[in-house]
Amino acid sequence: MKILKSTIIVFGIVGALCLGAQLSRAGEPTTIVFLTWKPNQPEVWEGLFQRFHRNNPGVRVKVQVGPHSSSEYHAIVTQRLKNKDTSVDVFFMDVIWPPEFANAGWALDLTSRFPDPEQNKYLRGPITANRYQGGIYGMPCYLGAGLFYYRKDLLNKYDFEPPLSWEEMLTQGQAILQGENDAELRIYSAQFKQYEGLVCDMMEFIWSNGGAVIDNKTGQVVLDESAAIEAVTFVRDHIIGKAAPRGAINYEEPESLDVFIQGKAVFHRNWPYAWAMANDPKKSKIAGKIGVGPLPSFQGQGSASTLGGWQFGINRYSKHPVAAWQFIRFMTSHDNQKILAMEASLAPTRRSVYQDPEVLKKMPHLKTFLPAFEKARPRPLSPVYPMISQELQRFFSRAIVDRRSDVSEMAKATSARIEKIVKLGTMIQK
Amino acid sequence: MTRKDQSFFLTLLVPVILVLLLFIAAPIGQSIFLSFHRIIIGLPQLKTPFVGLDNYQQLLTDPVARHSFWITIIFVATTTFFELLIGLFLALMIHHHFPGRGALRACVLIPWAIPTVVAAQMWRFLLNDAYGMVNYAVFGSETSHYIPWLAQPATALVAIIIADIWKTSSFAALLILAGLQVIPEEIYQAAKVDGAVVWRRFWHITWPLIRPALLVALLFRTIDAFRVFDIAFVMTQGGPADATNVLQLYGYKKMFVEGWMGYGSTLSVCIFIMVLGLAIIYVRMVGRRLLEASV
Repeated sequence: MKILKSTIIVFGIVGALCLGAQLSRAGEPTTIVFLTWKPNQPEVWEGLFQRFHRNNPGVRVKVQVGPHSSSEYHAIVTQRLKNKDTSVDVFFMDVIWPPEFANAGWALDLTSRFPDPEQNKYLRGPITANRYQGGIYGMPCYLGAGLFYYRKDLLNKYDFEPPLSWEEMLTQGQAILQGENDAELRIYSAQFKQYEGLVCDMMEFIWSNGGAVIDNKTGQVVLDESAAIEAVTFVRDHIIGKAAPRGAINYEEPESLDVFIQGKAVFHRNWPYAWAMANDPKKSKIAGKIGVGPLPSFQGQGSASTLGGWQFGINRYSKHPVAAWQFIRFMTSHDNQKILAMEASLAPTRRSVYQDPEVLKKMPHLKTFLPAFEKARPRPLSPVYPMISQELQRFFSRAIVDRRSDVSEMAKATSARIEKIVKLGTMIQK
Repeated sequence: MTRKDQSFFLTLLVPVILVLLLFIAAPIGQSIFLSFHRIIIGLPQLKTPFVGLDNYQQLLTDPVARHSFWITIIFVATTTFFELLIGLFLALMIHHHFPGRGALRACVLIPWAIPTVVAAQMWRFLLNDAYGMVNYAVFGSETSHYIPWLAQPATALVAIIIADIWKTSSFAALLILAGLQVIPEEIYQAAKVDGAVVWRRFWHITWPLIRPALLVALLFRTIDAFRVFDIAFVMTQGGPADATNVLQLYGYKKMFVEGWMGYGSTLSVCIFIMVLGLAIIYVRMVGRRLLEASV
């Protein structure tokens, strides 16, 4: 009897506390929770939130910060959304997630709020990435595309034009290394750790050799065809431990950028954000000495860069969809994309920002990127992309780590596994 | 025991049992349940069909899982062995009376007191290929010789093993020290009177009497090492080329990154069964030794 009584008392107290917490909320502005990750320039984002609060006194935004790495952040977001957790209203989506989030019913369909005429004000790539089976599930905040950074001063000194092909990059690099006689200087720095970024970097090599993972027209897995295998083998034999330090096998963006801004690499592949960091004299030894352009390709093929970037999504089970929409519409406005572009070097998704005189004055290079941004290619758009990505990461990492590896054998096995996964994804479309 | 006592004890036990059921039995039961289903969180249209032992069958033919299994075995065997060895050495050292013993004891415990994530991050910096202290200590300013420890499959695995040994040897030392402290001083004095030298005193008194403590340390360390996750997660995320993709990390990726709840649960259940098996064997051994020791 006694146990029962004390149990009732405990539950009573807990219940009363919960009720009290609920009641005290009434009458205050709507609070929405924005789940994001720690940005490179937190002060810029903080400024945007403050602007939003000034303009929208009826809505408060509570920011929750998750892990910086895309796959770890993905794990957190999906865990909360799959449990129909209403404590998240707005979340950030990597460009590869919308099909998954749409298909799983986690992201709210924004078609009625974000109709075609509005979508047309944005660049095509990110809009395509946010669409799934006729609906649109995210609003593009900023976009990424693989860019090629180079040491303008060194290229000028040796009278080189920025290389158009990977082979040319190697020959130029060799000449510069010989001339500079600096034991620490390397030709190239990029991201080759076994993580999502590895897929981005390797896709660029494969595409720029005319290959692909999944053929756009036929839907066939073509990773085991010669174009892809040649590209992977090239990275293994000429980049890892040769043009790039062997340590690049453990580099994500920050480590690889660090090599470049310490003046220890002639060429560097990174996203647009690196421009601001590399030109910041407080952080970089090479501020003002860099140029940027499209990535090289293999001879006779075209340059290709991977589409990246982040979108806002609204939780389908959010209790405050209207306030959430107000927030993401504000965050993706012309003015705010302009702030993100000028202060954090994040590439806008709205076309109009690329014509803004103030933006162009501060970032004249932005306009020259536009064609590359328009052409940036998405990674396979599929609700099962995370599984495909894990297979690709495993394959790429194994192939480039071991010089004796049988790339075509591994590519065949990986293709077979990806085909199985793709089949899973198509089962639902029946 | 009176009836009143009995109901009092029962009252004290109920919360414990409830907590155990809620936080231990329920999740394990849930995992076992999930492991018999095909659940892909990104594809709710496929529903969550019961697939019997399909997941387990898939596990047996999964080369990545097999690779992860052997990586985990290597990790468990080497870390446990060296942690016990170093732990024993540390325990013998800090058991002796000497000036500054208190300070040294505290120092020995520091690695264990540091959160694993922080320690792993520290090792990541130490082993960095461009500015890591380890490279500097080995090669000085000859930067062209610097080794990218975490970028080579073999050295990456060794690196997480060393980080774990550094971090957890002191825990083993603590357990062994507790065993040392219950050995009565008189036995040593008697042995000295009989003319036994240091080595004989260790071999015939200390060793048999601390064996139960060593077994307890062995049990804790093997089981803990089997569940290794955080060190690999922070230092290498399983790479390069899956060289540090320990079982728990693989299960985590399947479950939370790829969204295969069913298959991920199958991996967890298998780890659970292996650890449970080990625990049963050890507890039997320890139980017997403890009895022998107390006679």
